[in-house]
Amino acid sequence: MDYLFSYDNWEWLWTGNNFRFLVEGILVNLQIAVVAIIFSLIFGLSLALLRLARNRFVSIVAGLWVDVWRNLPLIFIILYLALAVPGSWRDAYASAIPDWFPDALQDELVLGALLGLVLYNSAVLCEIMRSGIQSLDRGQREAAASLGLTYFQQMRFVVLPQGLRRMVPSTVSQLITLNKDTTLVSIIAIQEVVGAGSTLASVNFGVEVRPAYLQVFIVIGLLFIAVNFSLSRLSRRLEMRERERTGTTVKPVEGIEDQVALQTDVLPPR
Amino acid sequence: MTDALNLLTENFGNFASGLWVTVRIVAVAFVIAMVVGTLVAAFRVAPVKALQRIGGVYVEVFRNIPLLVLLLILFIGVRRAGLPISAWVAGTMGLGLYTAAYIAEALRSGVFAVGKGQVDAALSLGLTYSRTMRRIILPQAFRTVIPTLGSLIIAMVKNSAIVGASLLALPDLLKESRVIQSETAQTEAFLWAAAGYLLVTITVTVVFRRLETRYAVRR
Repeated sequence: MDYLFSYDNWEWLWTGNNFRFLVEGILVNLQIAVVAIIFSLIFGLSLALLRLARNRFVSIVAGLWVDVWRNLPLIFIILYLALAVPGSWRDAYASAIPDWFPDALQDELVLGALLGLVLYNSAVLCEIMRSGIQSLDRGQREAAASLGLTYFQQMRFVVLPQGLRRMVPSTVSQLITLNKDTTLVSIIAIQEVVGAGSTLASVNFGVEVRPAYLQVFIVIGLLFIAVNFSLSRLSRRLEMRERERTGTTVKPVEGIEDQVALQTDVLPPR
Repeated sequence: MTDALNLLTENFGNFASGLWVTVRIVAVAFVIAMVVGTLVAAFRVAPVKALQRIGGVYVEVFRNIPLLVLLLILFIGVRRAGLPISAWVAGTMGLGLYTAAYIAEALRSGVFAVGKGQVDAALSLGLTYSRTMRRIILPQAFRTVIPTLGSLIIAMVKNSAIVGASLLALPDLLKESRVIQSETAQTEAFLWAAAGYLLVTITVTVVFRRLETRYAVRR
């Protein structure tokens, strides 16, 4: 217990650049999360549309794809892709990535990590979007059809704008989970916050104050809690506002860890 | 194709023991998560504000912290602080405490679904708060949250891979397949690990569908 609270072990926090080093690390995590979610949204939407296609074959194949990726551990997907991505792809990534992208993302290992994150999260987001779209009243599509709109026009002007709006709170909730999952890329030696923390805690030359592992990682944990907590407040507020506007809620999607908590916070006790 | 099958038959013992370790990690962590989660849920719905806050803090901390960071704190941090905690204990405790937050939220929504009226009725009959929870509310709440428990167990199976991949390096399915892959340089090892994980996930889904139809109450 003394170890936990002793001044010596916390001194690193305000000496030198240590805290800034950690914050820069967590910024890398956030950057990876943002890039991953952008691509996951694009692919997730495509998958959702495939899943909802009228052609049974397409819908079943898309469904299998989504189920496989959703049920595999993310760390497993990342490790496999980091190993199995061909060198040519990596070189292509290293040359294609624009210079204004942050340094950490220039590393070619990041391609495997991003691919893994996108494959997994696009499957999860597909289910979220599908749930949002299907929660829309059938009458909307029928009305649009009776007005003479084609399938694509119905989707574009009636179904998707409303359906996708409903899944914004769930998407923010998934962004929180994605944020936490970006720490997994430390296992393939990408320089993000967990890597930064390990580096800090193992430095033992040329420093007056040696950071203690326990305290460093408690601070990393607190940083994540701060970021994710703000995101979850945002998500709750969005869900409540959506509930006021439309009076309906989206059916909870299976397997989203945070979903349950989201519903509970917003639903008042009977 | 035969390469892949040979890989499986030659290393079947390793794959199987890895799978068994994964199942054991999830089982022990699930017990921890249920016990702690039920306790935290009881705090969260207690009429005492202080208890509600404690429960709230627990949930917010363990929902928002990445599992990997939690595991590293428990395993390496605690050990460097002088307490010799084993990888097994750190791994199962970490996974259990992490999932407990989600179970607590699920139970809380289950308790709300049961309804305040029953709590009031029980209290007016003279039952103490803990008896009310134990005998009346929680049994009903558990039935409502069975579907969510199923998906949380699947999430635990996926998270157990983190325990094996991180520095804790418990010899679970992922670790065994990585070892086999590095020894034989065949990436098919990962495919068999994937098959193993999917097998466990599908089993859990099927079992919970059966449980749902028998026990779950739709409210």
